[in-house]
Amino acid sequence: MTLTRRVIVCLDVQDGRVVKGVNFADLRDVGDPVALAERYEAEGADELTFLDISATHEGRGTLLRIAQRTAERLFIPLTIGGGVRVVDDIAAALRAGADKVSVNSAAVRDPAILTRGAERFGAQCIVASIDAKWDGTQYRVYTAGGRHATSLEAVAWAQECVARGAGEILLTSIDADGRRGGYDLALTRAVARAVSVPVIASGGAGTAAHVVEAITEGQADAALVAGILHDGLTTVVALKQAMHASGLPVRRLAA
Amino acid sequence: MRITIFDYGAGNLHSLAKAVAGADRDVRLETDPRTALATDVLVLPGVGAFGAAADRLAAGRDAMRAAILDGLPTLGICLGMQLLLDASDEGPGAGLGVLGGRVTRLRSQRTPQIGWNTLDAPREPLIAQSGLHTAYYANSFVCRPSDPESVTAWSTHEDDRFAAAVRLRACVGVQFHPEKSSTPGRRFLDSFLRAASRGALPPLDLP
Repeated sequence: MTLTRRVIVCLDVQDGRVVKGVNFADLRDVGDPVALAERYEAEGADELTFLDISATHEGRGTLLRIAQRTAERLFIPLTIGGGVRVVDDIAAALRAGADKVSVNSAAVRDPAILTRGAERFGAQCIVASIDAKWDGTQYRVYTAGGRHATSLEAVAWAQECVARGAGEILLTSIDADGRRGGYDLALTRAVARAVSVPVIASGGAGTAAHVVEAITEGQADAALVAGILHDGLTTVVALKQAMHASGLPVRRLAA
Repeated sequence: MRITIFDYGAGNLHSLAKAVAGADRDVRLETDPRTALATDVLVLPGVGAFGAAADRLAAGRDAMRAAILDGLPTLGICLGMQLLLDASDEGPGAGLGVLGGRVTRLRSQRTPQIGWNTLDAPREPLIAQSGLHTAYYANSFVCRPSDPESVTAWSTHEDDRFAAAVRLRACVGVQFHPEKSSTPGRRFLDSFLRAASRGALPPLDLP
């Protein structure tokens, strides 16, 4: 009996709509985040993440209203990320119904946001989101959705995020993201070994076997999955079955 | 039935309020620990830190302790369960002391414990009958009740076996988040509230 390994479903939300196609044959309005959130909970997703990719202040407000509507109907944990700049943004997301908030570029600009957030709301709701890319000699941290290179090295930065108060690391490989060739196992393992908090592997899932690898070889506690679910290439149920068949502890839906 | 969620001022009580809502249920948030006792069911929610919550509780601590010992149906979730004990290593201040014991850090490599963990050997029929086998946790600290008899279910993180649920009179404490534990978690909440409205929790199962 032990802590199970998680499948976290990520939805990219822009101006209140889920973007990138989502392929549920029996859902008429596939762009509605609330309907999709409920659908993924019913399928057995362990958590849900809304990544706000709105560029505007209005889009941000829309996301918080969506989060509120979702939280009223979703009874698994919800993380909100994207566009968090100051501690009050964390407060607003939690107030809207998020259980956790992920912070990316803002933490690089000012790591104290992690400390202030953890002191005010508890480390368990502060997720440090790290985007990393192999530059030939090291895993370099990028911000602004992968557009800006920083001088930070991913493993050291992850350790600093934890020291500053983050309760979880969401680790995305820019190299692997969207390619469906598997998670960056070397990156994931390096960070998972270096920190004491749970690590969520992100970027690169193409098959159920990739999700299993992220947790076995990559030593991640959880795997973030998006495109292959939205495109209907696999299901949360199938991912959980593959994990279970590999001997990983998973939460299974009661009959 | 009046259901009062004691608000320590620490954040999101939205989904908890929604999870306990229902027909003939009047759910309210209350920041004053004394006023919070004018209720049929008291809920101590699971967001925030021990020190800050104990501080908010202080003015009504004795009254709340007396009400719970007198049989007020009470549900403590995560931090709310921890507040039932005497004190916590997480921060200063007095808990309610309804249950003897202390809150200490999980003895594990990886904390916080974030995710779904299994519930072992529940003697709590409210858990067993809800089909709640795996529940969502987000915590670094756990309760160490001095009387193990008060523990009605256990979970294990790495090598640390800790109290997943406790019961005393009509007071139930759970370290996990039923409001985040999907359908079985909501069934558990509903079972507790229905039992509370009938005026008696079901007897604990034999160990």
